[in-house]
Amino acid sequence: MNIWPLRFRDLGCGSLLFADDAGGFFKGTEDFLHRYAFDALTDEDQAFLHEGGHTFQRELDLSYLGFAYRWCARQAPRRQLGYVILVPTLRCNLTCSYCQVSRAPEGARGFDWTEDTLDAVLAFIGGLAAPEIKIEFQGGEPLLRLDLLERVRDFCRQRFGKAEFVVCTNLQAVSAEAWDYLAAPDTFISTSLDGDAVTHQRQRTRSTELTNAFFGNLDRAIEQFGSSKVSALPTIDIERPPAVDEIISSFVDRGLRSIYLRPINHQGFARRGRDPDVGLDRWNAWHAAFIEHLIERNFRTGTILEEYYFSQCLKRVLRAGADEHVDLRNPNFFASDYLVIDHDGVLYPTDEARMQSRIGRIDLSVGHVHHGIDTEKVATLNAASCNNFDPDCIHCPYQPFCGSDLVDDISRYGRIDLPKQATWFCRRHTSLFDKVFELLYRRDEATRFSLSRWADLESWPEHLVREHQ
Amino acid sequence: MIPLRFAARSSQPEPFVMRLNAEVRAYELDRTGLRTEFDGDLVEVAGQRLTYASPRGTLVIDGTTAEEVDGDVVLALPGGRAAQRLIRATSPHNTFLITERCDQLCLMCSQPPKHHHADLLPFFEAAALLAPAGTTIGISGGEPLLYKAALLPMMQRVLTHRPDLGFHVLSNAQHIDEDDLDPLAGMRDRVLWGIPLYAADAATHDRIVGKSGAFLQLMETLPIFARAGASIELRTVIMRENAALLARLASFVIMHLPFINRWALMQLESIGFGRQNWDRLFFDHSTEFTPIADALNIAKARNVEAVLFNFPRCTVPQPYRDRAPSTISDWKRRYLGECSGCQERDICGGFFEWYPEDRGFQRLARI
Repeated sequence: MNIWPLRFRDLGCGSLLFADDAGGFFKGTEDFLHRYAFDALTDEDQAFLHEGGHTFQRELDLSYLGFAYRWCARQAPRRQLGYVILVPTLRCNLTCSYCQVSRAPEGARGFDWTEDTLDAVLAFIGGLAAPEIKIEFQGGEPLLRLDLLERVRDFCRQRFGKAEFVVCTNLQAVSAEAWDYLAAPDTFISTSLDGDAVTHQRQRTRSTELTNAFFGNLDRAIEQFGSSKVSALPTIDIERPPAVDEIISSFVDRGLRSIYLRPINHQGFARRGRDPDVGLDRWNAWHAAFIEHLIERNFRTGTILEEYYFSQCLKRVLRAGADEHVDLRNPNFFASDYLVIDHDGVLYPTDEARMQSRIGRIDLSVGHVHHGIDTEKVATLNAASCNNFDPDCIHCPYQPFCGSDLVDDISRYGRIDLPKQATWFCRRHTSLFDKVFELLYRRDEATRFSLSRWADLESWPEHLVREHQ
Repeated sequence: MIPLRFAARSSQPEPFVMRLNAEVRAYELDRTGLRTEFDGDLVEVAGQRLTYASPRGTLVIDGTTAEEVDGDVVLALPGGRAAQRLIRATSPHNTFLITERCDQLCLMCSQPPKHHHADLLPFFEAAALLAPAGTTIGISGGEPLLYKAALLPMMQRVLTHRPDLGFHVLSNAQHIDEDDLDPLAGMRDRVLWGIPLYAADAATHDRIVGKSGAFLQLMETLPIFARAGASIELRTVIMRENAALLARLASFVIMHLPFINRWALMQLESIGFGRQNWDRLFFDHSTEFTPIADALNIAKARNVEAVLFNFPRCTVPQPYRDRAPSTISDWKRRYLGECSGCQERDICGGFFEWYPEDRGFQRLARI
């Protein structure tokens, strides 16, 4: 019998997590590790490993193919460009404390698409092979250029069988025309809601008047369009996080059931004067406590709230194909299924790459809308966008579930070759996956209630996760 | 029940295939130049007695209407006294019974095997070529792959000539070997293989299918389907014999068979051996759904699509109802008294014609 290599990690209390390259995993003991390492596996060990898909007898037998299929399914990168993030203007009518986008003042000139750029953007989008398109309008504040949004939307509706639009807006100043625009069934709103009103005002709006205007518009949007058309994301400053209950009630009171907690990104204004890893341990602890809070609350109320990113991590542990979140993919190929077009027509693989380039740290642009994608540069970036062969990741049982984010490494450390355990990305995700596995092997009803719903199951099945002595 | 056979009088003693065309269809065939030698046009109607004429012979059919059978492909049976409907033009449930022979003897077989075999493949081939556009044709038995030497090339020819058709083959997959890799690969997107697996352990599976070594043989042939990229619908009839072992089977499926297209958990059909052994085999999921829920959730957690076949919707707890599509073929489906006024009747497959009401589900109620 052949055993696919197992990596392992201490889970505490004498237990270890074992995982193979295809993401098959189980909880085992020190004794088992010893037998595994010294080639002294018992018949029971071998039967257990065989049942769990960790072995094969000969190449191309059923177990071999099952493993190969599961391995491949986890690698499958998306190849068709069908999601385009557009920045029609860099101007904004807010000055948030952590602004990530190197914004421009509302009255500035030269930060909007020219007529020429618009034409080139439409020609670029029109040339895509995808049958469906998703457009995300970023900024700046995109509603400052509603005219450009109208023209892009009109064009895409005609050009594609199905088109969807997300307007990432601060909902600060919404004109009557903008409300009409947002009312369309194919158009969605994504906004920021930094927990409670006090924090939102401190980090974003700065004055009571603007705060009230924002909440008025948010509530109107949800009332008018329904909570399924509006998503709101809190950006958390771990130095001064809002109270957990305040965050939750801000969302629940508005019918929003999914909360995506984002630590302040190490970009833009947020970079200045901070150690790149400051607050990481605090963030991890705070986030884990938030998850526990949700578990307790969900069970008590019989309703479900989720932290979006944690649910993503859970799904990635359980199955292949949970690749929706662009920060959590492997390989994380650039400019393959989504792309950013900046206010000046320059193409970037991600929003974060755009910011790094804008502050002059490194040029991560991958072409121009007039000339198309610079495939050579994309290939250079892609060579480092895969965790499978990283000298640190190959020892980590979380590798099959985890992603890779070289732009974040560049942003924090100016290089991509640090030992992974020394990076913010690795330490944050190690902590997240530790929490996922802690919960997967916890046997209480409350945990299982939340886990099942977060994983889109009707109830938590016995025998889903395996244990071996 | 929808009739699959009519009393008939044929001008020929030998069997032959005919597509039945009422006036509009006949006119359309002339207009488009698509008429074949198998096309028979309606020439006389006398009550429920229809006369069709084709170059191969004349066929008088009793007991139906020209609208009901328009576009159907029938086989005038040897002796010329009956016509078998090979393709019903308006139905999605058309199946060719390739043989009644089988090398397994399943406890719940709905169509117990017989030794006698009549080779109808050439007629099936002609019928398939005459099928309405976009049809998926069932291939069943007995065990159809006992005749794979003729069957696989026949399927390849049909798929080549009719790029719009597909096949759904029910086979125990015992008779595939390395030499079949190429034909399987060539048909992979057009043929769905319905392959039964009843347990993750050889003893239980072999006992259910009545053949020792069947499980191990499956473990040898399933990789061949996988390597060919064949589309697989894994089928598990749930019985008292294997219900308690379902979660274990689910764990086996997600790890060793993740490449299947879907996993069908099926309720028992009370006909053939299924009727004889009903009291011993029937597992009433309406009162004990946990093993099925566990299997469904294990599969879903790992991205394997699992569905419930032949499960009346009211017997399934509400959160799982969407996994119970209407699957009982139209010609053997019926609804009970409880079904009248049910809001979900239109999307429910109802019950088998031969469902024993006095020994069936304990929990039935209109939704």
